[in-house]
Amino acid sequence: MRDTLNIEQTSRTPAVVFDFDNNHLKISGESYPEDVTEFYRPVFNALDTYLGALGEGPCRFDFELIYLNSSSAKAVMMLMDKLEDAAKNGASVDVYWFYDKEDDTMQELGEEFGEDLENAKFHLEKMAD
Amino acid sequence: MLADQLMDLRSKLHSQGVIFAYSGYVTEPVLSGVGEALKQKLTIDDADTKTLRSVFAVFVEQMQNIIRYSAEKVHQEPPPAMEAGALMEMRYGILTIGREGDDYMVCAGNLVRQEDVGRLEERLARIRNLSKEDLKALYKEQLRADPEQGSKGAGLGLMEIARRATKPIEFDFADLDDNHAFFALKATI
Repeated sequence: MRDTLNIEQTSRTPAVVFDFDNNHLKISGESYPEDVTEFYRPVFNALDTYLGALGEGPCRFDFELIYLNSSSAKAVMMLMDKLEDAAKNGASVDVYWFYDKEDDTMQELGEEFGEDLENAKFHLEKMAD
Repeated sequence: MLADQLMDLRSKLHSQGVIFAYSGYVTEPVLSGVGEALKQKLTIDDADTKTLRSVFAVFVEQMQNIIRYSAEKVHQEPPPAMEAGALMEMRYGILTIGREGDDYMVCAGNLVRQEDVGRLEERLARIRNLSKEDLKALYKEQLRADPEQGSKGAGLGLMEIARRATKPIEFDFADLDDNHAFFALKATI
């Protein structure tokens, strides 16, 4: 039984549900924490440990963010980099970016992150209503 | 007398279309509280999703700029029980949100050090004159870059404001004394 990471959503921080047993990781909600470094530290640590042991296994990562501030964008980029590195090392990684169809800024941001993924597969999708 | 004074201040804000005004020391909980009220007001106004998110996004970046960079601040040494470096600090600024016809405007002002004016002005002028496409490219470049010296955030805040704004950002500086200038930034959505 592998560890799971479960962080409950607050008004300023997203829900983080890393279901390592099913190789399904998800981050959803809004992200503008008081202290970005402090919030994302355990997220990065858990992801590093998991990806380090993934080998050539599969992994799906869902981003379902309604809003993120500029310092969180940097943290998201670091998550993307870690996923891309794992894919480069042989893992089969699928990254889903769900955006609200009413907000093209989040769609554009997703496209920008997607452009940097070469080995991980990127999927851009509208959130369900 | 008291009522006249306060009403006068209120009228001045009113005449400029201001619907929210905060002047004072800004902390993260202030951002949370005013932010919630702002979302509620925009919902009551029946603002569309894109406008609501953009006004809110600009508000967050403007508030965090004051919290992180205002040159006017007070601080208190932390009690010994707290970890070293946890300096209790508050920075002073003013932020208003208002209407201008169908548009929303988010304005923020705070003191900056004279020595920082040139660099900030140059940066804002560059951002202001970029097309949406070039701004997008610069944003991406900055996202990948190491944070600039003296920058506590990702250095992306001003670009986020410009990207979310529907008109070119406006900025201005007023000299205060040899050491400080007052910096004002306005974004229209």
